Amino acid sequence: MQRHTLTPRNNWQKEVEKLGFGFHTTNVPYWDESACYEFSMDEILLIERASAELWDCCLGAVQYVMDNNLYYRFAIPDPFIPYIERTWQEDHPAVYGRYDFCYKDGVPKLLEFNADTPTSLYEAGIVQWFWLQDYDKTKDQFNSIHEKLIDYWKFLKSYLYPGPLHFSCVKASLEDLTNTEYLRDCAIQAGLSTKLVFIDDIGWDTNDQVFVDLQDLPIKNIFKLYPWEWMVTEEFGANILADRNKSFWIEPAWKMILSNKAILPILWQLYPDCPWLLPAYFEPGHLTDYVKKPILSREGANIELIRGTSTLQTTPGAYGAEGYIYQQLATLPDFSGNHPVLGSWIIGQEPAGLGIRESSTLVTDNLSRFVPHYIS
Amino acid sequence: MKKTQQISLVLITAALASCHKPASPDWVNANGEHRRAYIRSDSTAPYAPMTHPLGIALWYYAFRPYGSYSYLSGYRRVGYYSSAISERSNIGLSGEKGGIIRGGFGGGYSVSS
Repeated sequence: MQRHTLTPRNNWQKEVEKLGFGFHTTNVPYWDESACYEFSMDEILLIERASAELWDCCLGAVQYVMDNNLYYRFAIPDPFIPYIERTWQEDHPAVYGRYDFCYKDGVPKLLEFNADTPTSLYEAGIVQWFWLQDYDKTKDQFNSIHEKLIDYWKFLKSYLYPGPLHFSCVKASLEDLTNTEYLRDCAIQAGLSTKLVFIDDIGWDTNDQVFVDLQDLPIKNIFKLYPWEWMVTEEFGANILADRNKSFWIEPAWKMILSNKAILPILWQLYPDCPWLLPAYFEPGHLTDYVKKPILSREGANIELIRGTSTLQTTPGAYGAEGYIYQQLATLPDFSGNHPVLGSWIIGQEPAGLGIRESSTLVTDNLSRFVPHYIS
Repeated sequence: MKKTQQISLVLITAALASCHKPASPDWVNANGEHRRAYIRSDSTAPYAPMTHPLGIALWYYAFRPYGSYSYLSGYRRVGYYSSAISERSNIGLSGEKGGIIRGGFGGGYSVSS
């Protein structure tokens, strides 16, 4: 993996806005084409292999959590356990996820798995693809996100309940809306009937005991870009258990297990020889150089990086009440102060592409920048 | 070859491009305030008790044109049936309509991860 400095396209803002990419810049740049990363095909093949093997490991770890009733490690409310197991046994549709890898010395190491509500899908699948068309269309890119999404929605069509597939996210975030509308775009291209309903507009029909959209029509299939750990604690959470339609929520509730950082010590316990895993534990004291992470946190909040007796970095936040895990320290590579984390996408059970976010610190937070890549 | 060969988008560019457009002047009143039309077929919209044209009491129509003037009570809005929305949204029992509640999800801001 090499980092190259580039001159951005003239009017690059207009180019990405033409794609519907409206959050390329906030108070700091988010889309950053003043640099890019180059990979060899062998490197990409290894990342792809690691992603595929980890998917198998993750499914095994979910089964292990269920078989050994380890939900208490995940701070999952007891009433939801039978429901989570039902979504697993009935194989409710699951579309996608994103591993975050630290990639050093040619080996990807799993930092965490964003299995429930991963974002940056649009940047990875669309924006960097069109960037490459302008930069050098003869070059390759690890990116079959778009076609895999369409193919998988087609595959799922016969598994969904009759009626539309609703798509939902919060109203206040253009980033969330973009990711959600992109997934809906692919579903439309797959021939599905779709509707958008914002998450706070979802209704609960107290007479029929079903969820309804803004036209009061029942919701039977719904993709939601909204985390399960929030849903189960909100006012409507318990209604999911009472829902007479037994709606399909995508991603399904069993993804609560994989998106929780408590899965990291379980994975390490089950697969200590896996070359893509870092040692991780529920208790402190096993590691000298480690990262302390809340089991539920977002955007790099409440992280502590410890090397020996020194604290390398801490980040603020409001997480941690549910507990922590301790993972062996793997500092991100340093390219003149730029620290990339690789986001490797799984779509429809298969590795599908790569998106890279760079930070100026060792923790990838909400100030990170999306940087495109190509294969040499 | 890892790269997608061809990408076309049917929805997202048009839908999201509209997010950047400034509000049309037509939708700003003389005080510079945005005028908004609230047409929601849910419990947040008011549904006055109405008599169904077929004589069934306590039914509502979501939208009611064909108002009428009464010598005693003045103008009275009546509403209309819109074929653009579902039948369930147009007509039903007022009590049933009040049985739909919203806002039970959405306490979080953004899921960005």
